[in-house]
Amino acid sequence: MEITASNQNDITVLALQGRLDGIASPQLEQRLDALLAGGARKVVFDCTALTYVSSAGLRVFLSGAKKLKSAGGRTAFAALTPAVHEVFELSGFHEVLAVHPSAADATASLAGP
Amino acid sequence: MIPSHQLTFVEEIALLALDDTSGKRLPMPTLGFSYALAGAALCDLFHLGRIDTDPAVLTVLSNAPTGDPILDEVLKVLAAARTLEPVGSWLGVLAQRSAWLEAAADDRLVERGILRREENKVLWVFGVRRYPTVDNHERIEVRTRLRALILGDDLPDPRDATLLSLLCACQLAAVIFRGPEYNARADRLAALAKMDLVGREVSRAIDALGKALLGASPLRI
Repeated sequence: MEITASNQNDITVLALQGRLDGIASPQLEQRLDALLAGGARKVVFDCTALTYVSSAGLRVFLSGAKKLKSAGGRTAFAALTPAVHEVFELSGFHEVLAVHPSAADATASLAGP
Repeated sequence: MIPSHQLTFVEEIALLALDDTSGKRLPMPTLGFSYALAGAALCDLFHLGRIDTDPAVLTVLSNAPTGDPILDEVLKVLAAARTLEPVGSWLGVLAQRSAWLEAAADDRLVERGILRREENKVLWVFGVRRYPTVDNHERIEVRTRLRALILGDDLPDPRDATLLSLLCACQLAAVIFRGPEYNARADRLAALAKMDLVGREVSRAIDALGKALLGASPLRI
């Protein structure tokens, strides 16, 4: 999986490409921990090119969102592909996490205090 | 490696499935406890990074020993498979070993000083084993944490989501978390229960089993 980070003011956008499975999820977890340690508090997961997510991937999404919230931050998920959307629906993640149709919408939702 | 002070999901389910005072198992659907223990073992291996799952299959990521003899035995079974199987199939396989899982988990809880073993006889014939609680700290701590999760609006920790999902699947959550305050949070509880894919499969397996048994029951007129 490839992770490309960009910043828009105080918002970090992580564009995820490929498969987020048990092999790739530690990479995302480490990236999130590093962002948190570096002071990032608002993170958008841009899932436009994310083709697959397993339980391990969901776990990293949830723990990342939880850690950021505990630190006073927020997360938003954007542009779920059909395969990822299906897993989010099955697991009810779309009910407890903020999911938006596009990265622009997700970024806008985190703008401001 | 699971920290030695932390209970595994197998141990937590075994502990929470006991009545505080009598030491007997709480009421659950037919084979509910067997499937919950099987699911708990899979969840332990998942959180230790040994397996991964999706709605289609369970994948072994590593067969490196976990240091826990119970989980290592289950991991050996999974790693020996020649084909990829869905979680539901593995639950069926492991549920057949649930008597062993239950006994091993109870032994561990006794070793930890949380339970004590008590042998009784019913009508002097059938041996009944009970596990009265010695140290209720673990059970109270887990229940308090889960109570706050159900009644609040915070995001769950992944481990808490897993445990709650397993408890809902075998309908222990309905026994442990009773009352109007929980009834008012039924939607929240249902949403949390779905968050672990293995727990969700345990729930589906128990439901399917219940329906099959109901269908097989003779008509009573």
